[in-house]
Amino acid sequence: MKSGIQHAKSKFQIPNSTKRMVSTLCCFVLLALPGSCTHGKEKIYKKSRIMMDTVITISVVSHSEDHAERAINSAFSEIKRLEALFDFYSPDSEVSRINKHAGISRVKVSQDMLAVMVKASFVSDKTGGAFDVTAGSLLVLYDFSHGIKPRPYAIEKRLPLVNYKAVHIDRKDAGVFLEKAGMLIDLGGIVKGYAADRAVETLKREGILSGLVAVAGDIRAFGLKPDGKPWKIGIKNPRAEGKDDILATLDLKDMAISTSGDYERFFIIEGERYHHLLSPATGYPVRTCQSVSIIAGEGVLADAFATGVFIIGPEKGITLIEKMGFDGLIIDREGAVHVTSNIREKIELEKNFTRHNGS
Amino acid sequence: MRKILRGTTGADKVLISVLILVSLSGIVFIQEVMPKARNVLIEVDGHPLYVLPMGRDGIVEVEGPRGKTIVELKQEKVRVKDSPCPAKQCVKQGWAEHGVIVCLPNKVVITIGNDGDDVDTVVDAITR
Repeated sequence: MKSGIQHAKSKFQIPNSTKRMVSTLCCFVLLALPGSCTHGKEKIYKKSRIMMDTVITISVVSHSEDHAERAINSAFSEIKRLEALFDFYSPDSEVSRINKHAGISRVKVSQDMLAVMVKASFVSDKTGGAFDVTAGSLLVLYDFSHGIKPRPYAIEKRLPLVNYKAVHIDRKDAGVFLEKAGMLIDLGGIVKGYAADRAVETLKREGILSGLVAVAGDIRAFGLKPDGKPWKIGIKNPRAEGKDDILATLDLKDMAISTSGDYERFFIIEGERYHHLLSPATGYPVRTCQSVSIIAGEGVLADAFATGVFIIGPEKGITLIEKMGFDGLIIDREGAVHVTSNIREKIELEKNFTRHNGS
Repeated sequence: MRKILRGTTGADKVLISVLILVSLSGIVFIQEVMPKARNVLIEVDGHPLYVLPMGRDGIVEVEGPRGKTIVELKQEKVRVKDSPCPAKQCVKQGWAEHGVIVCLPNKVVITIGNDGDDVDTVVDAITR
């Protein structure tokens, strides 16, 4: 028996070189199979959900569909959590608790609320009060779904309640107090950008290296797409017929972009457009711009400055954006495009749009 | 097994290995190169209700907070046929082959073929 085996061995000896070749080939097969099944090439995985009364779309780059889905779901859960804090119309939200205690007492708030309130107060300071969360008491006077504007005396009565300096933020103890009874804060001009920031943080924590979070028009991008290019963003044409009609495109790399426009919530009475971007000083919509887009490092700042700069107007607005070290694009009431000098070469305007002379 | 091995030469073994390699690589090739079947996912308020194959024609109704949204699939295209929302933007969007159809008031999201190959769009997102 023993000799038989030895005999067989010697007779059917495979040359070493062949052995090596076969084993190398087998290795390739073994390596290639699991690799292709679980770690396919990088792809963009995209998911949309309705939250915060808007459409939120999250895209991530991943080798694995499972990983992408896990990360996207965590980011949506994070936004869901924030939605419960910042919902103006929900009586149980943190923002409603602050409003209910206006003129009465200080309200203990979450770290997220504190962070948003601190940023809001910073933007109010920098915009000279053009961005003001206390304009909430004016905004509720306009009925956008039925197209009803308030009577002038109703606006006048509420103007004294609009003042960001009457919001007291206790940073050490995480507390917020509105000085006067009847004051209402509305964080609609800042929380979508904040939500985009938090969602991006969540995706990064889940191990995602490249992604795009779009909370309606408040967008934050990080990393590059599988083809090595940055994420490409379109800026909506403010007077478009179709909802996806864009007037310019630009690349966004590890930055946030937000747009405020007079077309988001509005009605028209006797040729006058009543939209949701109100002057905290007069209580009426400001009509010097059609839309303002801001590019900044943080979504929360891009969002709030887009609102504030809209109210400031095109010329002073561009100056402020540049002073803050941001970039931006403003469409004025005539439809002319103003851009900051940094991005003048980087932005691709669609035809039919003319650049404003001088900026 | 030993008997079979005894009847083979070194060259046979190489041949067998190559044949195995070729057939296995076929599996890899098909998975990588052949397009996956595209599905249509219909969700209401974040809850998936239907996953439908793109190739089959038909009509489904989903119940949202405002009532019934009627979705039609036909010849590899999808549309919202009718919706209880006031502006009916989802209906106006018409037939879609890629991307997403959303009805905000009725909280319906229809995602078409989310297989990571959504490359034929000009921009990745629109700021508005």
